Amino acid sequence: MVIDVAGVSAPDWVALAPTFAFVAAAMLTFLVDTVEPRPGTSSNAALAATAVVGSLVAFLVAGYFLVAGVGQPRGTGAVSLFQDQLVVDGMSLFFVVIVGSVTALVSLASFDYLEGQTYQAEYYGLVLLAATGMSLMASANSLATAFVSLELSSLPSYALVAYLKRNRGSVEAGLKYFLVGAVSSSVLAYGISLVYAASGRMKFDAVASTLSTLAADGEFFPGILGIGVVMILLGLAFKTASVPFHFWAPEAYEGAPAPVSAFLSSASKAAGFVLAFRLFLTAFPEVGGLAGGDPAVDWVVAAQVLAVVTMTVGNFAAATQEKVKRMLAYSSVGHAGYVLIGLAALTQGTDHGLVLGASMMHLLVYGFMNTGAFLFVALAEHWGVGRTFQDFNGLSTQAPLACAAMTVFLFSLAGLPVGGGFLSKFYLLLATANAGTWLLAGALIVNSALSLFYYSRVVKAMWFEEADGTVEVESYPTSLYAAVVIAAVATVLLLPAFGLLSPSAFDAATVLF
Amino acid sequence: MAGVYDFVPAIAALPFLAFLVSLFFGRYMPKRGAEAGVIATAGSLGLSTWTALTVAGFTGPATSYNANLYTWVQGVGDGALTLSLGVLVDPLAALMLLIVSLISFLVHVFSLGYMNDEGETGLPRYYAGLGLFTASMLAFVFSNNLLMAFMFFELVGLCSYLLIGFWFRDDGPPSAAKKAFLVTRFGDYFFLVGVVGVFATFGTGLFAPITDGGTVVAESFPQVAEHALGGEASVETFGLETGTWFTVLGLLVLGGVIGKSAQFPLHTWLPDAMEGPTPVSALIHAATMVAAGVYLVARMYGFYLLSPQALAVIALVGGFTALFAATMGVVKQELKQVLAYSTISQYGYMMLALGAGGYTAAVFHLTTHAVFKALLFLGAGSVIIAMHHEENMWTMGGLKDRMPVTYYTFLSGSLALAGIVPFAGFWSKDEVLFEALVHGLGTLETEASMVGTLLLVGYAMGLLAVFFTAFYTFRMVFLTFHGDARTDAARDATENRWNVTFPLAVLGIGAATVGFINMVPVAELTGAEIEFLHDWLAHGGIDATTTETYSELLHDVAGIEAAELGALGPGAVSLALALAGVGTAWTLYNVPDPVEQTDKLGGLKTLLVHNYYQDEYQVWLAQGVTVPLARAADRFDQGVVDGVVNGISSVSLFTGSRFRRIQSGLVTNYAALMTLSLVLLLIVFVLAGEVMG
Repeated sequence: MVIDVAGVSAPDWVALAPTFAFVAAAMLTFLVDTVEPRPGTSSNAALAATAVVGSLVAFLVAGYFLVAGVGQPRGTGAVSLFQDQLVVDGMSLFFVVIVGSVTALVSLASFDYLEGQTYQAEYYGLVLLAATGMSLMASANSLATAFVSLELSSLPSYALVAYLKRNRGSVEAGLKYFLVGAVSSSVLAYGISLVYAASGRMKFDAVASTLSTLAADGEFFPGILGIGVVMILLGLAFKTASVPFHFWAPEAYEGAPAPVSAFLSSASKAAGFVLAFRLFLTAFPEVGGLAGGDPAVDWVVAAQVLAVVTMTVGNFAAATQEKVKRMLAYSSVGHAGYVLIGLAALTQGTDHGLVLGASMMHLLVYGFMNTGAFLFVALAEHWGVGRTFQDFNGLSTQAPLACAAMTVFLFSLAGLPVGGGFLSKFYLLLATANAGTWLLAGALIVNSALSLFYYSRVVKAMWFEEADGTVEVESYPTSLYAAVVIAAVATVLLLPAFGLLSPSAFDAATVLF
Repeated sequence: MAGVYDFVPAIAALPFLAFLVSLFFGRYMPKRGAEAGVIATAGSLGLSTWTALTVAGFTGPATSYNANLYTWVQGVGDGALTLSLGVLVDPLAALMLLIVSLISFLVHVFSLGYMNDEGETGLPRYYAGLGLFTASMLAFVFSNNLLMAFMFFELVGLCSYLLIGFWFRDDGPPSAAKKAFLVTRFGDYFFLVGVVGVFATFGTGLFAPITDGGTVVAESFPQVAEHALGGEASVETFGLETGTWFTVLGLLVLGGVIGKSAQFPLHTWLPDAMEGPTPVSALIHAATMVAAGVYLVARMYGFYLLSPQALAVIALVGGFTALFAATMGVVKQELKQVLAYSTISQYGYMMLALGAGGYTAAVFHLTTHAVFKALLFLGAGSVIIAMHHEENMWTMGGLKDRMPVTYYTFLSGSLALAGIVPFAGFWSKDEVLFEALVHGLGTLETEASMVGTLLLVGYAMGLLAVFFTAFYTFRMVFLTFHGDARTDAARDATENRWNVTFPLAVLGIGAATVGFINMVPVAELTGAEIEFLHDWLAHGGIDATTTETYSELLHDVAGIEAAELGALGPGAVSLALALAGVGTAWTLYNVPDPVEQTDKLGGLKTLLVHNYYQDEYQVWLAQGVTVPLARAADRFDQGVVDGVVNGISSVSLFTGSRFRRIQSGLVTNYAALMTLSLVLLLIVFVLAGEVMG
């Protein structure tokens, strides 16, 4: 098969170029490690540069494909690969953009964070392989590839959380993450097997068409299928850190090295969501009643319940935390609840493209603001600042630029109009209002108001409290600083550029219906 | 082609520029910023004259101009409001621009004598204030919509605050400035509500329709209101009858007018405002602050004409204020205090005229009053300079020989104020009273007899005030300039320099002659076509704001009729009353050693000296009513509102701490909870769905 990329004929696998970029960069890190196994400054820089360049290439190529029309109706149309096991379309490219940008920021920041650590090649290799898994999740088009790519992203993540081998917190968090992940994977795998039992198909669209044929013939088993659908929903809830499969998140984010927390809470969450979006909208649209008619398994209402509970648990728990990183972890759970609106507000008669597009845009903005916030914590850890809110007191006198960036992240997370978070949350609210799901809208408003409380606690500590003088900022790590500032600039720029980017999200979302 | 109308915004922009220059560079200038102000206001005066000539048709066909220049809020969709800044120049605006820039220019020149020559400090601040004051008023005058007018109305208020409180180190001025600000602001609240009401009702605040090539592209709100009354358009009236709602809107806007134009009961700030420098008083009283209120009514007169009730209220407030303030002026001892009460009283006349349907009369009196009141204040300023800032008239006396220019110009202004033929005030005041009388009598016969009665009550009070006005005016003249000098300061007084006498001379001639622009009784007597102001206001490119339209509206919508009556009889009555007032003052005070004749009034004098206890009751309103109310509100806020808010936050934090405990740290717990919730979801969504389905 040959596709046409901006006027140039190319084999169709070129559409997967962003994923190949991740893979190639991962291989390259191992190569660098073979050349110089003992970590030295030169190899550190080379490793970090490889990871940054690799993920940047993935980010840029995916962005270029989006602009050039690859995988989209106005260009080549969705590109199916490997007998429809993978598909490259606007949705998958959009999420590769998110994963690529987050990976690039995290890799850039890790250069300083990992100073003096051994096994750096392994770190970057794992990050890049996890990113590969995530980009495959965005393209997965059958239940089998979905499971495999999810595991490909999960297994490196467990190792990354436990990366600080001598740190008890890190190791404990890694183990807990792994155990919860194992339970979740089994739930997901069991759900997949039940859906296969009910439909006899693995590919998403084949599942949907077979189910509707079966329903027409009266050979439909909603019981088996229903259990399968709910188990798949929960299995993916693990990846997106949604209640009730969120238990790993606060522990893992707190114990993991801060850049890894940033990576997991932004990129991994986005990948989980793209898989959930594609799976539920391609495989179960009629089952959920999206095409009209009574739903056999009302997964839209199930998503509504999960969304409200996730928002509420995440934000209320975040409000009472004493440690900044743990607060961010819970807020990340809360944001998963916001993004779940993309599935939960798909009521009949509403503009499905708008609902899903709003969620996608929120994930894009979230990729920058949340990554930035965790990277600021990484910066604080680098300086030896403590973990609680009080430890951040008066930090702005010593690091005004970084604190200003953190303020932008936090206010944007809360939905104030300093960054793109304001508009993406506004669109989410608009989507819930259009869908008439007032419970979701109310929960969104109440939780956003509450989130402003705990986000401002950090801002207050940084800018208005007096420092106790124990912390002395001695150095300003260049790459970490650069990553934080780039994330802040992107967050701010996403406010005016929102209107520029949102059409591609809405278009990509509309294609799925 | 760039016509004069393209330069109209510059009329206000020039003084604004002067404001900036004086503020930032004034301290480096030899005259401390006065240069900028004088040049800018001279430029404004030139442009205003050019504009007026264009409107009058001297430079081509007579035209008017109405355009939106800048849109600062663009409404999207149906019913959305678009807010613009624009310029409206019709005969009324052109005349007012001329008056304001003329007075302002003369005040700037006079300030050279009053402030610079007296060695005052802080002059850049003073001239910056004057510049901004002038700019705001000029922009207010050419505003083409109500919101823009409101914005500059407020700026005028701010500037008056800054200038009244110019000597902020003394006790009096800051307090007076605060009082002026708060009292006028009280009225402005109603105005603001009215502005919002007008926009909510009509969707536009335009004073006059904007036309393009003969077709109307944007309706004005008075016209929409007229159509709505005629049933040709429908507007939101918030559950009230259309006419009633328009009356409510008119009265709300009138709140701002009453505050700014110092009408009863919001007049109390104006006498205190005398604490400011005298040139500022002249500007406030003659051309800017106080005139803004009356001008606003004239500007949207097409709207007020739709509501006879609002007109009656305006007339009654005006007539009452005219008399009320005049009686208080009788007992004042300080030169500027007398003038202050005379201002209140004279603006009452203008309101009376507007309420009685005498639009031309009101504009006429606004014009003549601007000239002679500016003259009187500047004359008072001249006396105050000579008396080394002593203002009590009982310390003066006999100044007429030592300050001839000041005396004769002041006399010209006083004759105008008292309404003695042929000085300016006579013609305009006479016309005001005449309009009130004929419309009152005429309307008495119609269905709206109640309105007619009220107009006649207003007329009676206005007529009575003529006597008091003449009396206090000449009491002031005799005490100040006649008789023997009563102090050393008065004995050693000398005439001032050119920068004081030049404005006085200009205005003195004006006070004697401005009335000739509209001599209605003479026109009636001789049949000559000399009612220039009538013709001026009757023509114009914008039909909606001509007196022709207004008289139709007055007759058709408001139902106010004019009686058949000659102008000579009523004119003679008011002249006789004025002469009686002057005569009384002559016998009592034109003696070498006058005494406090007002002591004979006994208890009445105490009442008058205390201004009918107006201040006292307003202070009581503030301290006795508002403060307890505010305390109660505070208690409610602290107790109930804060209580609820604190309650919500404690509940949230408590819930949060419960949610936190779910995270026990034990993986076995997590696995159990995950499994349990999976089971729960399966029961709810699969089993229940199965059973129900």
